[in-house]
Amino acid sequence: MAKQTEIVTSSEDEVFDIELEADILKANRELALENHAKLKENGITAIDVMGSVGSGKTSLIKAIVSLLKATHRIAVIEGDVTTTIDADIIASEGVPTVQVNTGKECHLDANLIKKALALMQLSKLDLIFIENVGNLICPAEFPLGSDKRLVVISVTEGPYMVVKHPMMFHEANSVAINKVDLANAMEVNPSNLKNDISRLNPKATVVSTDCRHMVGIREVIRSLGLT
Amino acid sequence: MHEFSIASSLVDTLLEYAQKNQTQGKLLEVHLKVGKLRAISIEQLKFSYKVLAKDPFLSGSRLIIEETPALLRCPKCGFSKNFEVADDSYHFALPTLSCPECGTTVDLEGGDEVVLTKVRIKAPSKKILDL
Repeated sequence: MAKQTEIVTSSEDEVFDIELEADILKANRELALENHAKLKENGITAIDVMGSVGSGKTSLIKAIVSLLKATHRIAVIEGDVTTTIDADIIASEGVPTVQVNTGKECHLDANLIKKALALMQLSKLDLIFIENVGNLICPAEFPLGSDKRLVVISVTEGPYMVVKHPMMFHEANSVAINKVDLANAMEVNPSNLKNDISRLNPKATVVSTDCRHMVGIREVIRSLGLT
Repeated sequence: MHEFSIASSLVDTLLEYAQKNQTQGKLLEVHLKVGKLRAISIEQLKFSYKVLAKDPFLSGSRLIIEETPALLRCPKCGFSKNFEVADDSYHFALPTLSCPECGTTVDLEGGDEVVLTKVRIKAPSKKILDL
């Protein structure tokens, strides 16, 4: 007699639901907390600097570093898709820099910062700037473990930069409106940008800057609680 | 673009869960709650999930997303309401943080989560061999 094989497939009642409560952003947030704890163990203040491409993040960090390097032990983590151009610019100030190349990602995440911190002599530092990838959208979703968020925008990005990218400003502690020396040429009124920011996030301190001529840099430093 | 990172975390979470619980069968549905204040495009998240869900356990499963509300609460005058897109003059859903009644900075409750709440699994087919 031939072998008989009978196959019974699943019926409807064999479909079952499992209730879960899994936080999908947890992995990044936990790494961010780890980074934060590591920074605090070493007495380091970390500032996450965000803003769009060409807004002047690197110029502002360079300007701040030039004023603070005599009194603070500073290092800078530079996030870019590729190249070490920004890290080289900051390194010209004589402070240690780490370039993080994200490759295909449009933002830094806590894991990349963890790797960068592992390369640094944390016991010899008290202030770290983390320059995020130039992008006004994605980085807002990924905390890194820093103490404060500084957002840099510029008048050359036009009058609607704030209202078009509200998320970035919601969690900012300080916002620098850069290139104010070009405001007239651009026909952009910095106080309108300032009002847009205050409307979204009344807690953020807004400072007008012109990094090339070192205007407003000390105000940014003060707004970050650094002296 | 960050939706890809989030979809990737979701796939990792699902595979980790399946491995830990030695789950057999096929995943049919994945239920996810996404807070209204997250700058997450639902369409891009679904697309990214579809691209990334290649494991035999995951492939073909449907990602079902529920958007969860955000509550605005004024610590000074007690004003509170659920934030709605229509509240803002811009189509992107983000509230201004000043109280419409007294101008104080409001607190936000909820609306920032991305939580996997439920999976629906089809049990493996039973094969009865009559030799």
